[in-house]
Amino acid sequence: MKLLLTGVSHKTAPVEVRECLAFPEDSLASALKDLRTRAGVTEAVILSTCNRVEITITTEDGVDPQSTVDAFLADHKTISSDSIAAHLYRYEGREAIHHLFRVAASLDSMVVGEPQILGQLKAAYNTAKETGAVCGWMDGLLTRAFNVAKRVRSETGIGQMAVSVSYAAVELARKIFGSLNGRTIMIVGAGKMSELAARHLRRSGATHVFVTNRTYERAIELAKLFQGTPVEYSRFQSTLPEVDILIASSGATEYILRKEEMQRVIAARRNKPAFLIDIAVPRNIDPAINDLDNVFLYDIDDLQEVVNANLRERMKEADRAEELVTEEVERMMARLKVVEITPTIVGLQEQLESIRAAEVEKVKRRYGPFTEQQQEALEAATRAIINKVAHGPISELRVQAGKPDGAHAVALIKKVFHLQD
Amino acid sequence: MAEMSVIWLRVAAALYSLGLLHSILMLVRRREHLFGVALGAFALGAVFHFVSIVDEGILSNRCPIANTYETLSMCSFLVAILYLFVQWRYKMASLSAFIFPLVFVMSLMATLGNPVGAWSNPVVRNVWLTVHIVLVLLGIAALVVTAVASLLYLFQERELKAKKPRKFYYRLPALGTLDDLISRSMGVGFVLMTLAVIAASTWAFIEHKTAWISQPDIAISFFTWGTYLVLVFLRTTAGWRGRKAAIMTVTVLGFSAITWVAHSRLGAMLLHQ
Repeated sequence: MKLLLTGVSHKTAPVEVRECLAFPEDSLASALKDLRTRAGVTEAVILSTCNRVEITITTEDGVDPQSTVDAFLADHKTISSDSIAAHLYRYEGREAIHHLFRVAASLDSMVVGEPQILGQLKAAYNTAKETGAVCGWMDGLLTRAFNVAKRVRSETGIGQMAVSVSYAAVELARKIFGSLNGRTIMIVGAGKMSELAARHLRRSGATHVFVTNRTYERAIELAKLFQGTPVEYSRFQSTLPEVDILIASSGATEYILRKEEMQRVIAARRNKPAFLIDIAVPRNIDPAINDLDNVFLYDIDDLQEVVNANLRERMKEADRAEELVTEEVERMMARLKVVEITPTIVGLQEQLESIRAAEVEKVKRRYGPFTEQQQEALEAATRAIINKVAHGPISELRVQAGKPDGAHAVALIKKVFHLQD
Repeated sequence: MAEMSVIWLRVAAALYSLGLLHSILMLVRRREHLFGVALGAFALGAVFHFVSIVDEGILSNRCPIANTYETLSMCSFLVAILYLFVQWRYKMASLSAFIFPLVFVMSLMATLGNPVGAWSNPVVRNVWLTVHIVLVLLGIAALVVTAVASLLYLFQERELKAKKPRKFYYRLPALGTLDDLISRSMGVGFVLMTLAVIAASTWAFIEHKTAWISQPDIAISFFTWGTYLVLVFLRTTAGWRGRKAAIMTVTVLGFSAITWVAHSRLGAMLLHQ
């Protein structure tokens, strides 16, 4: 059996090439059926996302999988093979398994650790399974890939840190308040990013949203979106003692909240922490406010810095994840080698059994006839002998098959027992 | 002190103890609905306290501030009256977290001016002392948790203020979680320490008769309990967090360690029985 993975990704091909090779969801099943019915192809799966298109097939030993995939692409895609050749990557055997595990674990993603790729791979697997394109060995391989991805996510922090500004705001709020349940948010001004951050915070447990805007009608409109309370712009500071998280994104050209004003707010809050997110440019909140105890002020650059730090941390975790993936690939290869050695073990057992049967027959002819009891004893004794003889080489075959340098020992055992490949 | 005067003072201390109970519930379970009952009992306690002081003054024909016990009684009465006035005038319920335990402990100490007979049974004496030691050790353990959590809070707060996440930011728990742990461990620790102080005062009172109050190690204990009370008060009323709270907690822990050293003979005394 041969395994080949052919594909393009955001790392190897620009979007113009990726979009030419992509398989729309509605044509994926028919493409898989066509690929599966090609000569020598035993199983196939196609992963098609905005960042990658990958075709993985297993074929019989006598078939060239590369030409099969090339022919398939030529039949289904109008783009010439010459123009895509430079962008394509092809992995066989162990390399293909390694790549598949890395993709599933989101180590090959544009944003390392993003969770969507695993869902997309599972969807590709389901489609292949429904069309009958995955029905045996590759089923086990993909299931293993999902388990590897799960292990990587649970044993490393690869997916734990926010990598978008709006999520970074939510993560910081969690770092300040612990749980966001029952927290109160205030949005000052209107903007897509403040809306998004408020939405994330609301989803994370924040219960009440105050909205204020220079145009009161706009505040009412936005408040409706969050089932919140509109506040008149002139009165927003008097509401601040109730507010745990303030998101400022108004178009004001001067600070709308100064240090001495915030000092009064924090005293009214009896020093309960307050998180101020200033995503306006020019800034809405006096940066000196961050010097106050129990006030945490982050502007857009600070949030970006958190995102960058998170990305650096993710890369550190990715190194650990790579080690886990390599370990899993080795385990998978060892398992495959054990499966590969099974015909040799069966051959050895059959050979010993035929020798035993022939010798028993000879004894029967020369010294027989035997009573039923004697025959049973003869069979049991000879079987026990060949089982004991076979135990050593069979165990050694299993052990050596799993080792990277075990091929020599396997060949030697085959030679000793006159076993053919 | 005269016999009747001490009895009135004991009734007052018993009523003040409801105030202490309210403070404990407020700290540990964050429930404040007992405040009305506690305040009523506290006011009634102040009435009995007044009767005790007047009784003592009439019988001795002088202002009852001639010794430590009488002074303590007078002082705690004045604090109680002052608090009742502030509460009536400004409705400062949060102040009760500090005043109720303080007045109770001061009036309790004042009731211990008249010596009672020796221990009825040495076993009772030892059990009493063991209870005190166990309460103190548990209280210190809770205080250590508070101090460690306060330091972690400080580190995490610095990380968040610096806005450049490093190792601590990712490894340490959220400020809110640490704050919750600090409040709970501090509340539990304070309750244990207060009970330990009550157990110790009564034990020392029987053991050393009236001489107990003038011993320096006892004074250290009360001072440490007082700093703990201030910490609890500042935390619950002014919401002290971060650097100030961490320094204060570590200071109280330091005083507790000194107090422990000063009383190390108690454990030895128990072992040699």
